Order: sequence, then structure tokens, then C-alpha cells
Amino acid sequence: MKTVNFKKMFLTMFMFTLILVLAACGSEGADGASNFPNNSITVIQGFDPGGGSDQLAQVTQPHLQESLGVSFTNEYVPGAAGAVGWTRLAQQSENDGYTISITNSPMLMTNYIMNSEITYSLEDFEPIANVVTDPGIIVVPEDSEFDTYEEFATYLEENPGELNASNSGVGGDDFFTQLKWMEETGLEMELIPYEGDGPSWQAAAGGDVDASFNNLGVVYPQVSEGNLKPLVVFSEERIESIPDVPTAKELGLDLVSGSSRGYSAPAGIPEEAKQTLIDAFAQLEDNAEFKESLENLALPMDLKLGEDYASYLQAEEEAAAELWENVKDQYEQ
Amino acid sequence: MNDIMTGLINVLSIDSLFFIALGMALGIFVGSMPGLSATMAIAILLPLTYSMDPANGISMLASLYMGGMYGGSILAILLRTPGTPAAAATVLDGYIMTENGQAGRALGISLISGLVGGVIGSIVLLSIAPFLGRVALNIGALEMFAVAVLGITIISSLSAGSVIKGLMSGSLGLLISLMGMHAITGIPRFTFGSIYLFDGISFVVALIGLFSIPQALKLIEKDQELVKASKIKDKILPPWRLIIGQRLNLLRSSLIGVITGLIPGTGGDTASWFSYNEAKRFSREKEKFGTGHVEGLVAPESANNAVVGGALVPTITLGVPGSSTTAVLLGGLMIHGIMPGPTLMTEHADVAYTLLWAVLISCIFLFFIGLLYTKVAVGITRIPGRVLAPIIVLLCVVGTFAVQNSMVDVMIMFGFGILGYFMDKLSIPVAPLVVGMILGGMLDTSLHQSLLIGDGSWGVFLTSPVAVILLVIALISVLQSTPLFGKVAALFKK
Repeated sequence: MKTVNFKKMFLTMFMFTLILVLAACGSEGADGASNFPNNSITVIQGFDPGGGSDQLAQVTQPHLQESLGVSFTNEYVPGAAGAVGWTRLAQQSENDGYTISITNSPMLMTNYIMNSEITYSLEDFEPIANVVTDPGIIVVPEDSEFDTYEEFATYLEENPGELNASNSGVGGDDFFTQLKWMEETGLEMELIPYEGDGPSWQAAAGGDVDASFNNLGVVYPQVSEGNLKPLVVFSEERIESIPDVPTAKELGLDLVSGSSRGYSAPAGIPEEAKQTLIDAFAQLEDNAEFKESLENLALPMDLKLGEDYASYLQAEEEAAAELWENVKDQYEQ
Repeated sequence: MNDIMTGLINVLSIDSLFFIALGMALGIFVGSMPGLSATMAIAILLPLTYSMDPANGISMLASLYMGGMYGGSILAILLRTPGTPAAAATVLDGYIMTENGQAGRALGISLISGLVGGVIGSIVLLSIAPFLGRVALNIGALEMFAVAVLGITIISSLSAGSVIKGLMSGSLGLLISLMGMHAITGIPRFTFGSIYLFDGISFVVALIGLFSIPQALKLIEKDQELVKASKIKDKILPPWRLIIGQRLNLLRSSLIGVITGLIPGTGGDTASWFSYNEAKRFSREKEKFGTGHVEGLVAPESANNAVVGGALVPTITLGVPGSSTTAVLLGGLMIHGIMPGPTLMTEHADVAYTLLWAVLISCIFLFFIGLLYTKVAVGITRIPGRVLAPIIVLLCVVGTFAVQNSMVDVMIMFGFGILGYFMDKLSIPVAPLVVGMILGGMLDTSLHQSLLIGDGSWGVFLTSPVAVILLVIALISVLQSTPLFGKVAALFKK
């Protein structure tokens, strides 16, 4: 009786293990060159779930899935303003087109401009498409004494360095927006880095910091619910969803800033895979359902495909390098 | 009120109940396997829910989460191989009970504790979620730091044998947790120039190595059947009297679980250690902990299931995931066109309340499916060690590889296996190392942020009442384990 049981048990365990091993092998067999894609595509995300990158993934990927006929799996590798995830994409991922990443500008470039320890560069990537540009915004807690940008700026003029603001991490777009803003206005503020956009606005909503340099798309639900007050938005024109919030331009500041989010693959992916991916993104242009979901999130669509996206990143890299050169001595670790 | 009733009616439909049961069975299974986690299973199942009714799909995934939290303990009790990080604390007393021939009893207590924890968590979720959501928002860097410090003091109570050895193990854990790219400055630490260590060491990977590999080696060394366990004729379900006796422990541990779940970034792994520590602090039989004591099993088991309710609070009310599993769940909601966040409870109240009820109903399935699964699982103890050991190793390799599809992780897992084996031989406790690894990263990041907030002044911690209270408790905990405390106490007794 005992032996029979044992054999059965052993057999079950063995079969189970075998199935698991076979399942694990499945993804190895993909042959990138022909009939791409025939396997699920992994999207490396350099930020916490629930942040801006994740939102983009959730609204974009179902449509890509439809046009490409394969599923998309998100892999969250947060830390160091996305650098942990992008280093993995650039240096540890197969360049077969089955691993891509959401690449954020300017963070993608500012990371290695600022930190020699980060060893990837723009050449390690094959930009596929930019999808949205999420404008920068300054938000304060709902119970903050500041209701308008003017009150906020006046206070800082009289009390330089008295207030602090959270950002999504050193080298992130919000960090750079704040640097640009401080350079442009001559005002001083303490910078406090967090791990991603989510924790950054939570710090402001919880009253840990006086303000947060964040992105409209990330904080919009909190703004519309009244958990956070927007002071100024760094876009070209006023945003429809928050019509009462002035742009920095209107206030006389030469400052347009934000976070662009798109998709890139590691450099050297097969030409066919690259073209297939670009075509899939091109279809988003006329997708009404997609446009509507972006509007719901207050994310302005900003589609740039292939070469266009590559040269846009190039230009952003130059701009960021110059800005960093100016303030470097202040912030060098 | 209407929405609450609509939610209940939705949940009680046949197909909804079916999916909750399915999620529970899957959850318990993946939870019990080392390396496979509820987070992973939810990520895999997510695409399948696209075509389903959103409420059913999300209910299934929530039930899976609950099942995963419970399932991790089954093999932790039977084989000393925790299926999930949340079940690591269960090993301390649960596995000893199996060694003492009380495997059935241990599994039964674990099941009941999990049930109670799950129910308390879901009642909290169902009743005061919006209020607690605001509370969660007010937990900032200062409070996180205080929580981490308090957590570190657990090390002192886990190193009962030799304080020096415990501290050694704990510091090693803290050091290991600092490996990888620094979250705030982006500077790589202890990476030895290797890109594979840029992400630090995955906690799950280390945990599998630390517990399971030494256990496999031990089984071979002794080459004995777990005779005592297989002989057990004891009933799985514990007597009613025992449960009543544990009511305070159950309640306290469940509340610790809810609160820990509430804090974004901490989950079942932290909650189980906290509750174990507090159970020991309030126990009249402190010396029995670690020797197969019922209280030491009840605490982590009720806490890790109560985490489910707690972790869902900020997820639903704010759109902020309370743990890694809820982060994936959040993604599921978004795909169904439901934007989590402050508007979820108003605009999508039907789905929200269906989900909340599903969590509660899933506890009922937890009990029945759990009971069934445990009865089968006890059979494992009839397998001789020389057969079981290679199976454990195989499961470890497969499970570790599955975490990030990385062979480097498998090597790291074996490295930790060897470390764990020799720590056992030298009777250095492994538990402090685990606690150090869980809390190190949080301690580092929150301290850095707090000091930035306070312009570099340590006085900043005095500005948060919650942080002050937690730090004072931490101080008392430290004093309690020094000889000084005994003398002071004696002074007062006179």
C-alpha cells in the first residue's frame, strides 16, 4: 500500500516538474527572423507599477496586441530613474525584437550624461516610436497655502530655499524640469528624489513635501478629485482637461518641459522585426478608441515613428547635456 | 449602500462563484510551489480575463492572491521550503511541529489562522477602505523609516540562542539588501562591476536558497523518512477551544497584517515577521517560541492573509498598489477600462464592491479547498528523504529560473543554499538574515529621503508623531534584550 502511494506521488511530482521545465524552455525556441512576431513580447518598464510608464503600457499594448496577434508581458524593473531597466535592455536582453522597453525622454539620456557608472548610451537602442508627451506640472497638497503660481513664486522670492519639492528621481524628467525652472526663474528650492512618479505625488499629497514636480497624466486623477492642486503646467498651450491652469509660457517663462514616452528595442534587431513594430505603432494614429483612452488619461498623443523618434532623442540628448554642464558642480555626487 | 448590495448579488452568481473557486485553487497551488508566486500567476492569467466580465475576472485574480498567501505555508510547514516570502516566518514553529509529529495539526492551525486573517482583512476592506486610504497616503518617508527601524529590532528577538550570532546574521542581511543600484542616486553598490548584480539580489531567489537547499541536504544526510509525520493520525482541524484561546493573538496579528498591507511597499513578507515578534512580546511562554509553539504559527499565518485586505485598500481607493501583487491587479483593472484611483469607488462602484465582496467570499473557498489540498499534501511526508531531496532541488531550480528567466539567479540561489547550509551547521540563525534583507532597502531609501526633507537634520523624525511612537517602541525593544532592562524592571518591582 505504502509503495503504491509513493510511486504515484513521485510520478505526479516528476510529471509536474517536467511540464514546468518544458514551459520554461518555450520562450527559448523563438526564431526572430521569420514571421515575426510568433511569441509574446516582453516590455521592460524602468518604473514602479502605477506610474506614467505603466499607464501608457496599459492603454497602448492592448491595441498592439490586436494588430500583432501576440500578447505583451510587462516586467517592472524600477530604480535609478529607469536606468536599471534600460541597462538591462541595452546590455542583457536579446536583440531579437521580443524584448522592448518603454523609453522615456529625457531620462533615457540624462541618466548616462549625469552618471558615468551607467554604461549604456543612445547607440545601444533602436528607437521604435514615441507615443505621448506628458507635460510637466507643479502640484501642491490640497491644504497648501498656495493657490496660484504667483503666490508660490512670491513666497520663494522672499524665502529662497525654504520650500522643498519631490521629483521622480535624480536624472528624471521632473528633476530636470525643476533644474530648468530654477535656472529660468532664479528661484531656489530643495530637490527630494523619490522612486518614480507615484511615490513622488504621494509625498506631496501626504504633506511630506511642499510641492511635487510631476507629470499631468500621472496626477490628473488626484487633481480632478481634489487631492492635489495644480499651479502651472509646462506645455506649449493650455490643456483642455485643466483649462484654469496657466502654462509657464503665459507667465513669461521660456520653459516647455515634460516626459515623452515611447518604445525602443535594443540596437541591432532584425530589420523585419523593426518594421513590423513600427507599422503596428503607425496604426495607432487613426485608432479612435486609443485616442479616446489617451484623452481620458489627459495624455497628449505625440506619435513619432522610427527615424523621427531617433532624431528627436538625439536633440533632447544635446539639450540635456548642455543644461547639466551648467549646473553640474552644484549637484555632482 | 445600494452599490454594496449590487456587489454582493454580483458575487453570489454561479459564474462568479465558479471563478472565485478557480482562482483560489490556482492560488493555493502556485503559492505552495517555491518560486511560483501569486504575482506571477496573476500576470499570466491577466490576458485571459480580457474577454471575461471585468467583475468576474478581477474577482478571480483577487481570490488567487488570497490563495497564494495561504498556499505558501503548506510546504513551509511540511518540508521547511516556504512557497512564498510571506511564509518564511511560518517555518520557525510550523516546521518544528512537523518534526514533532504534529504536521496535521500545524496545517490545520495554519488554515484556520489564514481564514481568520483573511476574513478580518476583508471586513476592514469592505467597511472602512476610503478612510484607511487617506491614512495610507499620510505614511511618508519618516514613518517608513520608523517602521523599518522597528522591524530591525525583531532581529534581537529572533536571535535567542546567541545575540552575537543573530546580529552577525542580521547585519549580513542588511548588507546584502544594499547591493545593486541605489534607488535615489543611481550609484551602483557592491556590484563588483557585474551587470548581473545591478538589480541587487532578488529576495525570493535568496529565500529559496536559504531554506530549501539546506533542507534537501539535510534530508540526504539523514536519509530518513519523516516517520513521525506520516504516522500522524491527528485531526487536521484544531479543536474549537484552541482557536478561542488564540483569539487575542489572531486579532492582533490580523490587524498587524492589515496595517502592513496598507503601507505601500510592504506586504506579507514584512507582516509575518512583525506579527511573530509581537506575538512573542505579548506571550507568557516566550521561551517556547521556535520549538513548535502554536502561537508562533498562528501569528504569521493570520497576518499574511490579512495583508490581502490591507493591500487592496490603497489600490482601490487611491490607485496606489499596496504590494507587488496588487500592482499587477491594478494593471488588470486598467485593461478593463477601469481607472483605479479616487474615482473608482464612485464611477465604477459596481466593480469595486464586487471585488470587495469577492475577497470576503474567497475566504470561504480558502477553507474548503485549503482543507482538501492539505489532506493531499500531507502525503509528501511519506516520501523517503533520498527521493524527496532531489525533487526539492529540482523545484528550487525551476522556481528560481521562473522568477526572472535568469540562470545567474539560479547560481545565486545555490550560493545562498550553501550559505544557509553552513549557517545551520554553525547554528547561526537564518531568520535575522531574512529580516535584514526584507527591511534593508526600505531603511536605506527612507532614511535618505527623510534627511533630505529635514535638510540633513536628524530632528526631522520628531516632527512625525507616528514615527516618534514607533521609534520609542523600537528603543524599548532593544532595551528589553539587554541585561540593563532586567535591572531597571527589578528596581521598579521593589
